Amino acid sequence: MRRDDVRFAAAARDDGIHKISKFTWRAGAAGVACSALMAVAFGHHVATTPSSTDNNGTSQSHQPASGNNGSGTNQGSSGTNQGSGGISVPAQPPAPAQGGGQVTSGAT
Amino acid sequence: MTTLAVGTDTFSVFGTTATLLVSDAGRLDDARNIADTQLAAVDLACSRFRPDSELSRLNASGGAVIGVSELFAELVEAALRAARLTDGDVDPTCGQALEEIGYDRDFAVLQAAGARSPRSGPAPQSVPGWRCVLLDRKRGLVQLTNGAQLDLGATAKAWAADRCASLIAAGTDTGVLVSLGGDIAVAGEPPAGGWAVRVTDDHAAGPDAPGQTVTIRSGGLATSSTTVRTWAVGGQRVHHIINPATGRSAISSWRTVSVAAGSCADANTASTAAIIRSEAALPWLQEACLPSRLVRQDGTVETTAGWPSDPGPA
Repeated sequence: MRRDDVRFAAAARDDGIHKISKFTWRAGAAGVACSALMAVAFGHHVATTPSSTDNNGTSQSHQPASGNNGSGTNQGSSGTNQGSGGISVPAQPPAPAQGGGQVTSGAT
Repeated sequence: MTTLAVGTDTFSVFGTTATLLVSDAGRLDDARNIADTQLAAVDLACSRFRPDSELSRLNASGGAVIGVSELFAELVEAALRAARLTDGDVDPTCGQALEEIGYDRDFAVLQAAGARSPRSGPAPQSVPGWRCVLLDRKRGLVQLTNGAQLDLGATAKAWAADRCASLIAAGTDTGVLVSLGGDIAVAGEPPAGGWAVRVTDDHAAGPDAPGQTVTIRSGGLATSSTTVRTWAVGGQRVHHIINPATGRSAISSWRTVSVAAGSCADANTASTAAIIRSEAALPWLQEACLPSRLVRQDGTVETTAGWPSDPGPA
């Protein structure tokens, strides 16, 4: 009898461990799935929401979703690259030239 | 050696001078028609001095949610983007601050009126801030909170230059340069040698004015300065570049900053921010890899990120 009791207790223990392990794995998998879904659903907000450090005092929630691209890309000129600050850099820097210009760039 | 553009047109717009260069003179009329249509639409959308503009309607809305055109929404978005990229140094909510220093009418009228008297009332303070501008692009809605008054002068002209250049290049299949008061955008195939641009303090100066000549082939080039568009208020000279932190004309180490970027809007954003950031602009522009030419108040020149060296004082 005593040996049967021990065997029964061990079986019950193993069964409990198995159930907990199974539950833990399922909960983990569900968490991963939820995280992936949230990343897909809200990932674009990372690009449109400014950092909290560049606020000048007003609430973060006041920031509108100001655009579709929002990622700091430039507006249409070809052959440009992205500068480290998000401002697009020219495909090539201005080149030196002699004489006057065809047009003048100065303040208005 | 630079090849001269074969088609040139100069006209007035936005209270300043526009210049249109095309590499195929036969397409100049078509290019001008496209530019006229676009510029008229931009003016109607965002002029601060037209009571019938969308911007005036928004500023008078008292914080209500206003339905706006797609064009106006794009202009607001461009202004918010400039603010975001400069940590708020180029801020579109400077409307009230500009009015308080007397810039409450077209600049030609302002100049003709002579010195202004300082306004009575509380001392200037920081502007409400770009986060007070709520934009819903999908539904075409804009709202100004916290008493913000919008001014798109810092970005709209450069944005319009980009818009005109890209539409003209696409619509006429020619290389084009659009200059709106010195904010320059180019698109399409440039002439051999590129477009030659004289960089100087005042866009209205001639092609041989003190400064430097460079060529560009794509993107944009813009210049901001504290020496132009100035007027007197109570015996003090003020200018139109507002420091959002103080609500006053920016005090800067630089009298003029020129920047080349991937678009005219970005070039103008950087040059305006550089005036406001003063000494801090130099490492900022360098780190952002933006070719720039900065002229100190005494005329000495600094350059960054591959801008051609400039041997002489400006």
